[in-house]
Amino acid sequence: MSDLSISKQSEPGGVGSVNKERRRELLQKFGALASLFALVIVFATTSQAFLSMGNGMSVALQVTSIAFLGLGATAVIITGGIDLSVGSVLALAGVADALAIKAGASIPLGILVGLTVGGLCGAINGLFITRLKLPPFIATLGMMLVARGFALRLTDAQPVSGLGQGFATLGNGTLFRIESMGDDGFPNVIFPGIPYPVVIMIVLAVGLWLVLSRTRLGRHIYAVGSNAEAARLSGVNVARVTLFTYVLSGVLAGLTGCVLMSRLVTAQPNEGVMYELDAIASAVIGGTSLSGGIGSVSGTVIGAFTIGILRNGLNMLGVSSFTQQIIIGVVILLTVCIDQLRNRKS
Amino acid sequence: MNVLSSRPDGPAAEPFTRLPCLHLDGIVKRFPGVLALKGVTLDLQAGEVHAICGENGAGKSTLMKVISGQLSPDEGCITYLGEKRTFKSVNDAERMGIAIIHQELNLVPHLSVAENVYLAREPVTLGFINRRKMVSDTQHCLNRLAVNIDPMMLVKKLSVAQQQMVEIAKALSLNAKVLILDEPTSSLTETETAQLFGIIKELKVQGVGMLYISHRLDEMQHIVDRVTVMRDGSHVSTRPFCETSVDQIVADMVGRSLDEKFPPRTSVPTQKVLLKVNNFGRKGAFQSINFELRKGEILGFAGLMGAGRTEIARAIFGADSIDTGSLELQGQTLSIKTPQDAIRHGVAYLSEDRKSDGLALKMSLASNITLANMDAVCNAFGFIKFKEEEAAAHKYIKSLGIRTPSTHQVTRLLSGGNQQKVVIGKWLFRDSKILFFDEPTRGIDVGAKYAIYELMDTLAAQGIGVVLISSELPELLGMSDRILVFHEGRLTAELEARDTSQEEIMHFASGYTQ
Repeated sequence: MSDLSISKQSEPGGVGSVNKERRRELLQKFGALASLFALVIVFATTSQAFLSMGNGMSVALQVTSIAFLGLGATAVIITGGIDLSVGSVLALAGVADALAIKAGASIPLGILVGLTVGGLCGAINGLFITRLKLPPFIATLGMMLVARGFALRLTDAQPVSGLGQGFATLGNGTLFRIESMGDDGFPNVIFPGIPYPVVIMIVLAVGLWLVLSRTRLGRHIYAVGSNAEAARLSGVNVARVTLFTYVLSGVLAGLTGCVLMSRLVTAQPNEGVMYELDAIASAVIGGTSLSGGIGSVSGTVIGAFTIGILRNGLNMLGVSSFTQQIIIGVVILLTVCIDQLRNRKS
Repeated sequence: MNVLSSRPDGPAAEPFTRLPCLHLDGIVKRFPGVLALKGVTLDLQAGEVHAICGENGAGKSTLMKVISGQLSPDEGCITYLGEKRTFKSVNDAERMGIAIIHQELNLVPHLSVAENVYLAREPVTLGFINRRKMVSDTQHCLNRLAVNIDPMMLVKKLSVAQQQMVEIAKALSLNAKVLILDEPTSSLTETETAQLFGIIKELKVQGVGMLYISHRLDEMQHIVDRVTVMRDGSHVSTRPFCETSVDQIVADMVGRSLDEKFPPRTSVPTQKVLLKVNNFGRKGAFQSINFELRKGEILGFAGLMGAGRTEIARAIFGADSIDTGSLELQGQTLSIKTPQDAIRHGVAYLSEDRKSDGLALKMSLASNITLANMDAVCNAFGFIKFKEEEAAAHKYIKSLGIRTPSTHQVTRLLSGGNQQKVVIGKWLFRDSKILFFDEPTRGIDVGAKYAIYELMDTLAAQGIGVVLISSELPELLGMSDRILVFHEGRLTAELEARDTSQEEIMHFASGYTQ
């Protein structure tokens, strides 16, 4: 192709604005991370136990369920959707996992059943949204009720227990635990080990980060959220990409269910109520835009830790759970307000 | 309206025997980068039907928005009923008696006729809506129009024509002295149109001044008293309808000279048929469309708003479905159901509205360029090869002359011309065989326009079939080999660009058969 002559007009969007844009992006990332560190410092100075290895691990463990769900929510929200069903789906998946094991399945098979149930719920959400064009809010609201109802019916609202010691491994086992036998005959814990859920969280976060930022699928997810019609007219299979994100969200909810039930060594059909809101909050605190097209895994992980550390630190300070709700609510509002103000300026 | 036709046109040399009900003087309206109205002067008498004609983009809609209070003018003044006025909002203008009826009707479908007529100004007694008064007042307005519509009926159950009557009734209930009708007949049948004209005549007798915007020159003779022609945001002429002719109006509309710069055409169309469209039809959009696109040709699509040009292109591209017809690509019958099918077969469509369906504005320039051809920059596992993506982006930044600080620039921050080039880059990266350019130069500056013209020529020279959909007749004449003219979803003429003129095209485009 020949080089085309172009008039040299001054235009908006010159060299200055890209730097500004980048700086703003960095500032937001850094801002979120900085406030997370600020939280850690505040809690570390006010509470002695906060900055211990044991507490660190327990925070990480508590954060895992928000993070699993938050990662799914991030993908869904980037497409411009929302998934309200994950709290219920995790309960149904956990119950399915436990019932399968009760019925004689092995532990891995039980987990597989749980993940499949989660994935199916996600697929149903996705099909309602892409084929029948239901608003995501409505489709997943319906699923939220249906999945919870099934979980309660299947168990008669009773916890399923007596699942054996093996069932607890996924949620309570650790990697690299180092112990030494003490003189008193009890083992001394030198390193508490990294809980399996934390390992899974790291693997998943890295995996989803790669998918979103490095692959065609990830690019398509952003394109659908940025402009679904432009994506469609560019040959992106919008329905399939959208469906994928809901299935992903469902599978991650299934995983959360299996992990939570394993930690409790009981399947609780009432588990996970309102967890979808934590998931959405972690994504939003991490800079994911509810109008789609913008969001990142790192942001969501920061968001999940912000919520987790706030809860943990406030607990240690003896702040009541009611006050905690108020504080976390205010944090969400503030983050989104700052986000809005930032967007309005550009 | 003898008062009018007897009065000589032009600036009033003698004082008015009767004040115009609306007078605009030197109205200027600027949009970022565009001067939409360049000092328009217009007057409207009570009881007059005053037609406003002009090509797409001539500034008619902007002017109507200024009159109806949707936009405030940057310069100039509006005199209404002898007093200088500035309308701060639509409500403000409505209260004073200026009502506009949009082409897309603005009714709330789930409310009744009466509720729509009195929306946001419901008659209230003790804080409650006085339904009885609302219904009887609506009935009164409908009676004035002599139409038989039940005020209690839900609007969604009415036909388009009836809904329009409701809009007019609403205007009457506002006691409108000025009524703006924007393409009122575009979705009406012949009988409905006749009925509307009856109402317009009735309103004339009642002293309502009407501004009538229409592309249908043939219809105007029934109702119009005077015609004003606008072009490129300026007032061109105002004449009594009886003293002018369709030829004159068309000449005024297109009067732009052909001295706009176009690059010399280097491509030579071949006889080889690339794309054959057989009996294409979609209900409510277009029907019986047959044409061929040849290799190395630039085929122009001419037509006014609502002619169906974009709809046809979108249907060929698989973005919208068709009811009848088939496509042949290089002799092979194709089944294109989705844009993916079309893209696979080498058909590309550069949409008219690049912001709403051409670009992912929140994404980077590089991501947009590769979006339609991710396979070319991905490995077998779907991982993006960023180096190759960078290279592709750089290639098109260079060859298309896109002004951007980097390949990572978010496309939202690029100028219109550069955004358009990104869209073009996207389809060039896809190695398309057929390219539909839908209004490719709308809203971009002259330099960038020239570059896009050159590019189209280069593409045609490479054997690509180019379709140019444009409302700019000089552009069509300057760039096309052949021009297809559409009117209301039908192909009305196929013209050789070198043997035709703006006037001839406009005749076929306005459906006025000679």
